[in-house]
Amino acid sequence: MQLSLQARERLFGYTLLTPCLLFVIIFAFYPILYSFYLSLHKIILSLPQLGQPFSGLDNYSALFQDRIALHSLRNTLIFVFFTTVFEILLGLVIALIINRQFRGRGLVRAAVLIPWAVPTVVASQMWRFIFNDKYGLANFLLFGSDTSAYSAWLANPVTAFAAIMIADVWKTSSFAGLLILAGLQVIPEDLYEAAQIDGASRWQQFRRITLPLVKPAILIALLFRTMDAFRVFDLVFVMTQGGPADATNVLQFYGYKKIFAEGLMGYGSTISVLVFFISLLISIIYIRVIGTGLFKE
Amino acid sequence: MNRVLFYIITFTFVTLSILPFLWFVDTSLKSPLEITAIPPVLIPSGTLSSYSSAVKEYNLLHFIRNSFIVASSTTAVTLLISIIAGYSLSRLRIKYKGIIMGSLLIVSMFPQISIAGPVWKIMLHLGWLNSYQGLILPYVTLTLPLGVWVMASFFRELPRELEEASRVDGCSHIQTLFKIMVPLAAPGVFTAAILVFIYAWNEFFFALLVMTQQTFQTLPVGIALFQGQYTLPWGEIAAASTVATVPLVVIVFIFQKKIVRGLSAGAVK
Amino acid sequence: MIKGTGKQTIRTSGKLFKLFLGLSLIASLFFGCTQDADNGKTRIHFVTWKANVPEAWDEIFRLFKEEHPGIEVITETGPHSSTAFHDLLTQKLKNRSTDVDVFLMDVIWRKDLLDRYRLPPPRTWDQMVVQAELITEEEKRLHNADFHGFSGQFKQYEGLVCNMMEYILSNGGHILNADTGKSGLAEKEAIDAVRFVRDNVIAKIAPRGVLTYQEPESLDLFVQGKAVFHRNWPYAWGVSNNPERSRIAGKVGIAKLPLFEGNQSYSTLGGWHAGISSYSKNKDAAWTFIQFLTSEKIQKVIALKAGKAPTRTSLYNDADILKSYPHFKDMKDVFLTAYPRPRTALYPAVSNVLQRYFSRAISSPDLNLEEEANKASREIEQILSLEKQAG
Repeated sequence: MQLSLQARERLFGYTLLTPCLLFVIIFAFYPILYSFYLSLHKIILSLPQLGQPFSGLDNYSALFQDRIALHSLRNTLIFVFFTTVFEILLGLVIALIINRQFRGRGLVRAAVLIPWAVPTVVASQMWRFIFNDKYGLANFLLFGSDTSAYSAWLANPVTAFAAIMIADVWKTSSFAGLLILAGLQVIPEDLYEAAQIDGASRWQQFRRITLPLVKPAILIALLFRTMDAFRVFDLVFVMTQGGPADATNVLQFYGYKKIFAEGLMGYGSTISVLVFFISLLISIIYIRVIGTGLFKE
Repeated sequence: MNRVLFYIITFTFVTLSILPFLWFVDTSLKSPLEITAIPPVLIPSGTLSSYSSAVKEYNLLHFIRNSFIVASSTTAVTLLISIIAGYSLSRLRIKYKGIIMGSLLIVSMFPQISIAGPVWKIMLHLGWLNSYQGLILPYVTLTLPLGVWVMASFFRELPRELEEASRVDGCSHIQTLFKIMVPLAAPGVFTAAILVFIYAWNEFFFALLVMTQQTFQTLPVGIALFQGQYTLPWGEIAAASTVATVPLVVIVFIFQKKIVRGLSAGAVK
Repeated sequence: MIKGTGKQTIRTSGKLFKLFLGLSLIASLFFGCTQDADNGKTRIHFVTWKANVPEAWDEIFRLFKEEHPGIEVITETGPHSSTAFHDLLTQKLKNRSTDVDVFLMDVIWRKDLLDRYRLPPPRTWDQMVVQAELITEEEKRLHNADFHGFSGQFKQYEGLVCNMMEYILSNGGHILNADTGKSGLAEKEAIDAVRFVRDNVIAKIAPRGVLTYQEPESLDLFVQGKAVFHRNWPYAWGVSNNPERSRIAGKVGIAKLPLFEGNQSYSTLGGWHAGISSYSKNKDAAWTFIQFLTSEKIQKVIALKAGKAPTRTSLYNDADILKSYPHFKDMKDVFLTAYPRPRTALYPAVSNVLQRYFSRAISSPDLNLEEEANKASREIEQILSLEKQAG
């Protein structure tokens, strides 16, 4: 009797999960495998007479000799590193600010959350406009009406890349801040009161209480931000299209161009697979570090 | 001293956060020649012509309508599936919970490009490029992990006794779920709804691939492609951006607490 | 003459099927994905740029409906930049596009300034550079303002290929030898032309920002009165002379592009193309629509209402058109010197290599051009060999 009840519950449980799993299998796992399959073939959309000949690992060996692909990989990693570091640091500050009690906190909270609410495409257009070499706000704030000093930020490989990173940091620091804030809010007040009685300074309290306790939240934020930065696309698409001279090309944009612009479905899929494995690796490392508490049954 | 420093930092962050957006709002109120003036003009002439032109000539309302259809359908479908899946994962005695939750987490990390080609091919095959479902289905897939995680963690917090009482009263699992659990987890449902809606409202990559006809394009695609062959209508882009953003800013402002709670659910404990 | 070629191309599109595809970089018009509508009408999909003058198109569709009530035209709008538009075409349709018509470009300048300094319109690129430097220096001294000699389109996108091709061709070089399938990028003429742009144009007579400019940004600089010379498509003339859009209305001159001494001037061909997808199920209906679009009547509507250069040579003598757009008279010459970009089914891939090479070449002053050009040539030839394999 007991057993059959449990069996029924189990059956019911899996039934409830079915729609969710179906979606994930059809639109996420199957496409990944399919990408892998495509990457082993030579498929050029604009040459249908070519068919889909099996080409083994040819595409992969080509990928590792493709200097633009490697350059995009390098760019992507640099982008991930710098944006994530700055977003977490600024996010921590934002979280500390909006966690405090002060007059006008509601307004401040709303204000710092604006960037997060702005669609990425809108943010991209905004920053492209701000970094315009002639009528951009950045030049105006730096040089006033001395137009001869105006700089073409998006024309220089280094500053163009920096501009995209600035736009990303602006857009998503507050999201990191939200995640960290959630961690701050679960720290019990009395810990700080006890520390104060013991004569601990503000800084000591931050070092000894806040940081260790908020660490899990920071790691979560780090995980989310890393993975999200890894798939940067909108900013590059709108702000630079990868230029000048591929200085701002990133993997997701390069893959998009290969598959959908050049029609190299087979070769482009190797980029898809590469991106998938790198992101899988990163997320596994993070999850290991964060611990298995996430998956307690 | 400390206090002063705090206010300076706060002021800096607030300014940096809103200034770029305000600049775009400002731009939306300028005339074309003011927008491209060198050096920039600060005070706009206050014309609303960019707004009327965005609506009349650039079909702004049409893009908003598409975005609304896609985002709200995605939200509805994702929530329904997330509720039942989250309930199953948090309250029923089933095996492989860890693996399922882990796989979902990994799906939420997928870079779009790693599935873009095949998803595009599937949609092409089904004839669903340029259709709402062609976009809603991938969106549901990509937002499900978030939805399930949020729902599961909210359900997990509810006391077991309520559920048991309801079972003793002769309610089936499904009745228990929708009559007792869902109302109790309403804040969670709500949070998940906001997060999923914002995701679908803002997504660009798949929208760009799937929607090639203006008839079906969503707002981000519309705004990214406002540029004509020979025109870069900054005024209209700024106007449309303002219109696209203000509703979200309002939502975020009103529901910030719930959003914070939803994001942290399950993760930070 | 040119329209004749276009017709020919379309009619033989079955044969061309294997050889040619995205020959137009800025394919402006495109037909694809046709299907039968439920209402018994033949439905064709018409993929095009977002219209700059929608009224003109409204009228065209209205006229077409009157003449051909059995065909229903559904419009799809393409993304903004040439590059993104191409992405759309290749991605969505795997098209075989075939060109019907040409589009052309020209250089326009500040007539008032050239007159003030008693300079003739530049015939060669070198003259243009000298004049630009002279005027800029004087203007800066007099007004101490931000002022430039030239603006054009040098962002890493399709338009860059058009711009660079004009310098290379007018120096007697070429990008791709149509007969041998060999790239000409590494030949002396091509390298010299690229070097000329890098050393004399970018961050010299033109602001460094041109590396981020597509058509609109480059025109903005010109209509704000901040540049002497400007390279663009014919629409720029209308905009420059529109007082609501321009601070220099009425002060503008126009002519065909300059050249390098001892060579011919070239404009890049491409832009006003219409093609039929080989996947189209209603090729006849699409062909009817193309014939309609390229008819003298409709080309006149487009010229008058949208300010676009007509694709029928006869219209360059049309009194109504010349009344509104007097410069079209001179543009017939430009029209006849236009030159097509490389033709290959893998054009998008070739173009990306070209964009990459040109962008690198002109944005990095100490790059070894020969080496880069050789690399790019190898990549292009490798891409083209794929096509040969496929047969």
